[in-house]
Amino acid sequence: MVAQNLIFGVIAVAMGIAAIRVVTTQNIVHAALYLVVVLAGVAAVYILLAAEFTAVVQILVYVGAILVLFLFGIMLTRAPIGRTSDLDNDQRWLALAVSLLLLGVLAGVLADAFDDTKLPADAAVQRSGEVGTSIFQVYVVPFEVISVLLLAALVGAVVIARRD
Amino acid sequence: MYSKREAVGSVTLAGDPLFGGGVDGAVVLIVLLKTGVAFAALMVSVLFMVWFERKVVSDMQNRIGPNRAGPWGTLQTLADGIKLFFKEDLLPEQADRRIFRLAPYLSIVPAFLAFAVVPLGGVITIAGRETRLQLADPPVGILFLLAMSSVAVYGVMLAGWSSGSKYPLLGSVRASAQMVSYEAALGLSMAAVVLVTGSLLTSDIVSEQSRSIVDWNLFRLGFLPFGIFLVAATAELNRPPFDLVEAEQELVGGFHTEYSSLRFALFFLAEFMSTVTMSAVMVTLFLGGPSGPGPDRGFPGAFLPVFWFLAKLMIFLFIYVWLRATLPRLRYDQLMDLGWKRLIPLSLFWLLVLAAMILDRRYGFAVFGAGILLGLLLLRAVQVGQSATDDAAGAAPAVREAG
Amino acid sequence: MSEYLPILTMLVLALVFAAGSFLASALLAPRKPTAAKSAPYECGIVPDKEPAERFPVRFYLVAMIFIIFDIEIIFLYPWAVIFRQLELFGLIEMVVFALAVFVSFIYLISNGALDWGPARRTLATTSLTPGRTTDSTVRRISRTGETIEAA
Repeated sequence: MVAQNLIFGVIAVAMGIAAIRVVTTQNIVHAALYLVVVLAGVAAVYILLAAEFTAVVQILVYVGAILVLFLFGIMLTRAPIGRTSDLDNDQRWLALAVSLLLLGVLAGVLADAFDDTKLPADAAVQRSGEVGTSIFQVYVVPFEVISVLLLAALVGAVVIARRD
Repeated sequence: MYSKREAVGSVTLAGDPLFGGGVDGAVVLIVLLKTGVAFAALMVSVLFMVWFERKVVSDMQNRIGPNRAGPWGTLQTLADGIKLFFKEDLLPEQADRRIFRLAPYLSIVPAFLAFAVVPLGGVITIAGRETRLQLADPPVGILFLLAMSSVAVYGVMLAGWSSGSKYPLLGSVRASAQMVSYEAALGLSMAAVVLVTGSLLTSDIVSEQSRSIVDWNLFRLGFLPFGIFLVAATAELNRPPFDLVEAEQELVGGFHTEYSSLRFALFFLAEFMSTVTMSAVMVTLFLGGPSGPGPDRGFPGAFLPVFWFLAKLMIFLFIYVWLRATLPRLRYDQLMDLGWKRLIPLSLFWLLVLAAMILDRRYGFAVFGAGILLGLLLLRAVQVGQSATDDAAGAAPAVREAG
Repeated sequence: MSEYLPILTMLVLALVFAAGSFLASALLAPRKPTAAKSAPYECGIVPDKEPAERFPVRFYLVAMIFIIFDIEIIFLYPWAVIFRQLELFGLIEMVVFALAVFVSFIYLISNGALDWGPARRTLATTSLTPGRTTDSTVRRISRTGETIEAA
């Protein structure tokens, strides 16, 4: 348990620094890469929580697909190498206030929901079979609705992109 | 020899017996030892693969190939590697320095990590502790492989972008789109293996195939997932005939044009290491991993399974070289057509047919028939799409004339 | 958790190896940068253009479509693991799901969103002299050197 707390500390600090760098860096590609660090850190935390399937999904979808899309978007619309001075605007204090508020709300909700519940020391690793059971037996309707959502997303993507 | 699954659909969490009694100093030492050995084995296999590729290609082209350093030129790769240490490391002035330096790491780390979940043999005993000849057996095993191959995109993409030069940028954009496209087909054909195994653990996948040769997934899944996986893996590795990324005739060297010295060496190493790793993954998924062709008699020693594993690995390494020596490079549109319009629908179709066949033969045929009909629909869609594109292209010059 | 120990070790080993070889290279390799060496590679000519400014939107579209398929594939894995428990119910579930994705796939393809090919319809070329063909312009020479008249 000591080792796990230690690892969590390291990951949390790295994620915190990377998250701050996402918004302070002057280079847009660097910002995207710091975001990769943050999201990979989330995956590492999932592993520490014994939610391994979620961790892999986090890597596959966020790191492997969504951020690749971000980088693609940046690269395809001419990502200048070096600093870009117009990345900042005068709304930074507003943004800071909003993010602090969000942090407060999330922390409050988590503290309220879990209080000081401890993860049992012999926490069974989340089995992908159990994940499957809950998706395909308990939450069948949401699962099928997701397919419609994906359909809408695809059609939307095509409609937007085909206006070239 | 391997832990057997208790019931279909439930995953044993036995894992490596090494970690059964908690982690103490001896266990850490054994892990370090195993990792060191695996690391060394990977490096040696890369040195071998580079030599093997050059030698076999030269044989196929009636040349001699490397024959100076060491017997039959076997030490040529080592010599080349040492030479690269002494070469000047250039940093292009237009480059984004930090990312330019970071990219080789991003390219080599996934290649190393993916190998960790491949089972190489049976259980051995070191210092009274039983352990598998497999570095790690995480409960999400096979998805870990997929995750590593999706992370591998970053090295190529960032190397090309950060160089601040035309050819690398073109190469990396091509590469990222290609790798992303074929990852879908890769994932779908891997899902077929999970379907018959009922587990994500690589050790379960291997033990499920260990009874005899007819249980190998290659035969059980009806060749198609294997074929799709082989094609998709070749594309994922950017190896010929899918090497559009570094098409010398168009892009000089592709994403690593601006790299020199050891940074180049690391990209080269990562490329060949991924080839070895991907071959090992194919052996695991489709050819029964370390199990021999006969029924599994539970060998006490670990070395016969390792021998079988290496023998199967060699088949794939040879296939890769053979493909390179034989096939011309695909055009980009052919590459994308193959990935999206053929492999993805085909692998999804076959997955559903397999699932239906597991339940009942009649369902299987029903799904098969429905799939054929939908395939015809897809063909029609391809035609419609093609003519829409042609119309758009035909209309464009007319506009230009009017303007 | 301890299953990840070897992976972590491997990660550290790979990083140490890469960093170590960079260090060795930095110590061993000469360092004599010149303007010509550090210029972007351009086959020997002086580069006069920036790298391409914009790429076809299709590349972006591919990445977007991939996300959708990636999500579908991720759903397939837990489904495949417990398929034998779900039996027919599971099959129907996945067929419905796959059909919905397939419909969008059909839409995608019939819109030509995944067509990369050169358009097959080219401009009608107004050839300068209709009589000029390869037969009339290429002079064929036999082995002994006489011109072979086009048939």
